[in-house]
Amino acid sequence: MSETAMELIDVKKRIGKKEIIKGLSFTINKGEVFGLIGPNGAGKTTTIRMMVGLMQLSEGDVTILGKSIKSDYIEAVREVGAIVENPEMYPFMTGIQNLNHYARMIPEVSKQRIQEVISLVGLEKAAKEKVGRYSLGMRQRLGIAQALLHNPSVLILDEPTNGLDPAGIREIRMYIRRLAVEKNVAVIISSHLLSEIELICDRIGVIKNGELVAIQQVNEKTDIEKLKQVQMEVTPMNEAMELLQTHHGITAMETDGKLHFQSEKEKIPAMIRTLVEYNISIYQLEIAKSSLEDKFFNLIGENTIE
Amino acid sequence: MSNFFSLIYNEIAKIYIQKSTWIMYLLLGVIILGLGILANTYGDLNDGYEADTWRETLQEENEELTNEMEEEPFLQDFNLSSIEMNNYYLENDIQPAGYGAWQFVMENEMLLSIVSLLTIIVAAGIVANEFRWGTIKLLLIRPISREKILASKYGAVLLFSLFTLLFVLLLSWVVGALLFGVEGINPHIVMEKNTGFEYVSVINEIITGYGFQLVTLLMMATFAFMISTVFRNSALAIGTAIFFMMVGNQIVFFFMERSWAKYILFANTDLSLYFNGNTPWIEGMTLGFSITVLLIYYVLFLMLSWIFFTKRDVAGH
Repeated sequence: MSETAMELIDVKKRIGKKEIIKGLSFTINKGEVFGLIGPNGAGKTTTIRMMVGLMQLSEGDVTILGKSIKSDYIEAVREVGAIVENPEMYPFMTGIQNLNHYARMIPEVSKQRIQEVISLVGLEKAAKEKVGRYSLGMRQRLGIAQALLHNPSVLILDEPTNGLDPAGIREIRMYIRRLAVEKNVAVIISSHLLSEIELICDRIGVIKNGELVAIQQVNEKTDIEKLKQVQMEVTPMNEAMELLQTHHGITAMETDGKLHFQSEKEKIPAMIRTLVEYNISIYQLEIAKSSLEDKFFNLIGENTIE
Repeated sequence: MSNFFSLIYNEIAKIYIQKSTWIMYLLLGVIILGLGILANTYGDLNDGYEADTWRETLQEENEELTNEMEEEPFLQDFNLSSIEMNNYYLENDIQPAGYGAWQFVMENEMLLSIVSLLTIIVAAGIVANEFRWGTIKLLLIRPISREKILASKYGAVLLFSLFTLLFVLLLSWVVGALLFGVEGINPHIVMEKNTGFEYVSVINEIITGYGFQLVTLLMMATFAFMISTVFRNSALAIGTAIFFMMVGNQIVFFFMERSWAKYILFANTDLSLYFNGNTPWIEGMTLGFSITVLLIYYVLFLMLSWIFFTKRDVAGH
């Protein structure tokens, strides 16, 4: 198996008498993109703050490449690059001045490296402008550049695609994947959008009310998860329902003038062939939701904050 | 160690890259220039005395002052002391030096309260603003201990006050030199002290005058720094520090009768009392006592900043 980059060991956080993180334990491997998902107020940001030492742990420990964030903070955090919540920069300084500022805090960052990260996130043109004039997307890019300056082994990004346009999201997504695959960086991404996390991550941890409710490997779906929700607009409807039942053993339901049923994706072409053979007109076929999303909804439940 | 210098460099750069800092310097410059022009236009300043006629000039001055006094009785106090001063020159056979750059610098001593004000503003913002901007998070997740980051910020405040002080001294001297000329490298003048008239070096007066005021500057800047770190609110830090700086003496005066009054910070900030023969605020206070009290306050302010900055969680706003 691959090496462990970061490990959380029974991490707890109490504020006053209230326990907001109730014992999180999981590991993130090198070269892996790990998604942290949960509704607002579940404890994602608190967990991230503890990972980088902004908040003290009430109990448990976080190790980064085997170094404890509690007892060996400086060595542990040397391996981490992060954006925590919004990428806030000094508004009165230019992009490059901001990067220089952070570069001075770590001895081994060269001028060349600063140029490298600027071109990586595509900020060449805006680097000499004041950050106060940046759009949220540009600040997000600068935030990522800042996190990558010192070639960290663990990259922690809190809502990294927040404020980016679709093209920008695609770019960042590809870049994160490349970091994981080529540079063997462990990437931790938090989000409350499953659709987004599903596309980048290898594994997803679901947090609810400060507890880890599930860890899900993205590519290995169980049989039930392979089933898709299918919607079909056909005439005549009754005949189509009968054909699906007799030839494919599928019980379809009729709602809103459409047929609804569950099926594996691979079986759909055969169904269409049958329907066409029997002269049924097909107007529309749509795969509505993946069952993975359903599953997460069940896990997370309503969007309640305790 | 080089690491620590880059931290201080960062903090200084953040102070001087902001426009508001330069506006403060601009105002300071305008005030100094204004004072110079004011003194030049309205001030009754002598341009110096001729080596062979200065005795006659002083005598004439004294006569004028006496005449003036008879016509305008309310000038009596002021003119009498001027006459006495002139007599001191005559009796001791010292040729008075003319008004020049050094004396202008000396008289600008009160500008140090503006330097204190600017230092308080910077000290009040240096930690609180990082929280306001949200940049504290990115600042603290570097492989540097929080102690070191706090120390670099405090160091930057002290450097800022030093730079500003030098700016005031230098600009005052230059403005003074341009408007009044320079009267030698180390001019001496006669000044009225508690013990009577004394012939003193102007540069000595500048050093002691500014030096004693630096105590208040340092204490109030450290106080503002502490409030800024503990409450993460620059407005509160500026407000309280300036308030205490202005009413500090009244506070001591108000509690004068109490036995603990001598432990109030402001009863101890004016160390010049012990050198120029004035009586201290409260009987029994000595230089050693005041320095001890000041040190205790100073360490207390720094300890509080240190504890709150290093131990506290950085949570949301």
